[in-house]
Amino acid sequence: MYKSRLFLLLGLVMAFTACKKEDSDAVTPALEALTFTNLAAPGDVIDRTTGQVTQTNPFIYFSFEKGTTVSASENWDIGFKGTTLIFNSGVSGSGQGGAVIKTGTFDELTEAPESTEFRQDTNSEFAVPTGSDNGWYNYSGPPTFLITPIAGRIIMVKTFDGKYAKVEVLSYYKDAPTQPNALSDQSATYTFRYMYQADGSRTLK
Amino acid sequence: MKIPTITLIIVILNTYNIFGQSNRKDSLKAIELSEIVVTATRTERQLGSLTTPLTLIKKQQIQTLGALRLTEVLQEQTGLAIINDHGQGIQMQGFDPDYTLILIDGEPLVGRTAGTLELSRIAVNNIKQIEVVKGPSSSLYGSEALAGVINIITDDPDRTEGGLNVQYGANQTLNVNGQVSFKHKKLGVYLFADRYSSQGYDLNPETYGATVEPFFNHTFQSKIKYQFNSNLKLTLSGRLFQETQEQRSDIGNTTPLIVSGEGTQTDGNFLMTLDQKLGKNLKMQYRLYHTIYDTESGLRYENDQQIFDQSFFKQRFTRPEVVANYFLNDQHFLTLGVGGTLESVRATRYEGERRFNTQYIFGQYEWTPAKNLTVLGGARLDMHSVYGQQLSPKFSTRYQLVPWLALRGSVGVGFKAPDFRQLYLNFTNTTVGYTVFGTEEVVAGVERFTQAGEILNIFTDPANFTTLNPERSVAYNFGVDMQWKNGLKAEVNLFRNDIENLIETQIVARKTNNQSIFSYLNLREVFTQGAEVNVTYQLFKNLQIKGGYQYLIAKDKTVVDQLNRGEIFKRDPQTLITTRVTNSEYGGLFNRSRHMANIRLFYTYKSITASLRTIYRGRYGLGDLNGNQILDADNEYVAGYWLWNTSVAKEFGQVLRLQVGVDNLLDFRNETMIPGIAGRLWYVRAGFNFARK
Repeated sequence: MYKSRLFLLLGLVMAFTACKKEDSDAVTPALEALTFTNLAAPGDVIDRTTGQVTQTNPFIYFSFEKGTTVSASENWDIGFKGTTLIFNSGVSGSGQGGAVIKTGTFDELTEAPESTEFRQDTNSEFAVPTGSDNGWYNYSGPPTFLITPIAGRIIMVKTFDGKYAKVEVLSYYKDAPTQPNALSDQSATYTFRYMYQADGSRTLK
Repeated sequence: MKIPTITLIIVILNTYNIFGQSNRKDSLKAIELSEIVVTATRTERQLGSLTTPLTLIKKQQIQTLGALRLTEVLQEQTGLAIINDHGQGIQMQGFDPDYTLILIDGEPLVGRTAGTLELSRIAVNNIKQIEVVKGPSSSLYGSEALAGVINIITDDPDRTEGGLNVQYGANQTLNVNGQVSFKHKKLGVYLFADRYSSQGYDLNPETYGATVEPFFNHTFQSKIKYQFNSNLKLTLSGRLFQETQEQRSDIGNTTPLIVSGEGTQTDGNFLMTLDQKLGKNLKMQYRLYHTIYDTESGLRYENDQQIFDQSFFKQRFTRPEVVANYFLNDQHFLTLGVGGTLESVRATRYEGERRFNTQYIFGQYEWTPAKNLTVLGGARLDMHSVYGQQLSPKFSTRYQLVPWLALRGSVGVGFKAPDFRQLYLNFTNTTVGYTVFGTEEVVAGVERFTQAGEILNIFTDPANFTTLNPERSVAYNFGVDMQWKNGLKAEVNLFRNDIENLIETQIVARKTNNQSIFSYLNLREVFTQGAEVNVTYQLFKNLQIKGGYQYLIAKDKTVVDQLNRGEIFKRDPQTLITTRVTNSEYGGLFNRSRHMANIRLFYTYKSITASLRTIYRGRYGLGDLNGNQILDADNEYVAGYWLWNTSVAKEFGQVLRLQVGVDNLLDFRNETMIPGIAGRLWYVRAGFNFARK
């Protein structure tokens, strides 16, 4: 009896504080989570027998501010090519960009990390490391050869002009099929969810 | 008349177990009590007296199944599942095929591909009996005996007779084998020859190449026994297996580009055993064993006959060993052994010849303080040239509580040494471009790539890879054996295995071609636990029913920890929403069925025997589909299935036996998920036997 009363009391206190918090946040409207589908960014073509690159493909660039792909000469935030992601700074660009991977769900990671936590692309390593299980994806190898975005890996992004965004890669195959087939579905075709904070703060919710 | 020591022990042990024999009407039980097995203790013991669980499969049962290869026999046994991973191997107590030691006449078979020893290499018509010991036996056998041991005991030349078997069935599968056994005074000679061929089958005709390509193979076996006198016996035995299989595949990206060729594998072993009795209480055994495993494969482009790929693999294994059995009196029995192993491998994927050697000693003490109690303790020390020392103790006991119920329990350590691949591999995949180094090669290998300027970045210092430890498990088994006067027999065994130091590939560096260099590390810890039940009942005079069930949980401890910390997520393939995976959603390691069962009916009427057997394999995980690398969603499972097999045989006197049978009666198929199941297979068989009375 006594215990349940205590919980009731606790519940009331929490409800009260929760309401209070909502009130104070009401001034800034919640940011919108947007989904971009079918960003096609084929990787370089490699001859299977020699291992040599036979065709070099360009990076496909994306701007969070515009919400679309942009050309290399415009202000881009993230570049896609095959499974490789680059960000606008370091060896990849002249901006103030960067990235760092965080573990959690898209909704619960509501704040970008401190500016110092962000990494830049360097000659030895990309901000989002390449390779299976190192960065955003897993490669299953034979027999399915699937590239699967690892659930719970959220890429925190610093844009070209030092603002913040978060990105979750949802699918590597065209139209985000529920049962992708690496041999028949068009690969290197990204579907991702993102949220962009235009005011320069680290808040992402 | 001298009674050999070992017979004495059996007689003594017999007296402990005659409780059931008061009911003489039950002939079946009397037979089972007199079954002699050797694998559990490395000495001859009665099946009913063991402190550890053992499944015995006799020649007659193998015949009833119409089986030709070892896989067909093992897949019908409780708790054993056939796993297809670079060959057909056996999963025992939830362990992968790498962790079960396969013996022929007590000596190990070698030649594993990615850890799996292809069990269809083994013909069964020259087998006297198969003994399956569950739980670790490293205290007697050393490395690989982690999940258990399968010991294949071949026929002995103990009388003069001959036989011929011809079997033909679906997929143009033809097996012809014959054996001659000769016994005259002190000399016994046994010869066996077997040819097995098949056109294979194709479950996916729309893709190039068959599921199983045509193949043929031969097995030859011989055994010579010579009894110098009642105290000295020499046995020489040799076995040779050779298989040739067609290989073809389409490697073209858009237009077909066919490569084809042949692959051969050869597997041979030779064993010399000298048994000597020294006085009444001491028996010595001197053994010398040598085995080889060779494979060769060549693939050429069909359009211009240029070489696409050529590879070979040659493994050698030699082992001298001396074992002493000392029988102190009714209560004390001691076994001591010492030996050494020399192993070498030469292969396309290895730099030069790689060797390692092991010296070992083992001891086992069996104490029978009271008529109804047996206590057994043993340990083995392996000293390996690469990874150092490994001590494997084991303790087990059996207590006959009441005449119809006995308790068994054991605690033991099992281990698996790092293999050649994990130590010495030096392999670069030419089509994709990644590289794998064994731990003894990785420092020099990465250095070579660095010199050549082909390293982009190093993730893990190669120096971290130099000490690879054996994979190790601690196992607990607890069992109850029950046997009632009405012929009902039940065995229950509970097991738990805690495995540490599991060896896995780990990324070392990234190359300038964006591909990775891998090596091996002791990483994960897993556990398996469960229960196994076996029931045998003589339903009517002519009808015996056997049933078995295994419940299994096998999980990665690291994953369980991560789940508890909320670090594993899943993505819904429809909504693409990511959520946390809870501990209860975790289905454990892939490829393990929580439930496996079998029901087998055996009918005998005069000269006719018939059987109807069904095997159930419950649903099991195939692979991750929702982006978290663990088994947690329903669509990541392969649905459970039943297989029904049946056979009828009739004997005409002692000379002729005719058999017809159908395996997979209901034509169960799962082309994409389980290519190892071929669909319905019928067969007819004729066996001729010529015995000298």
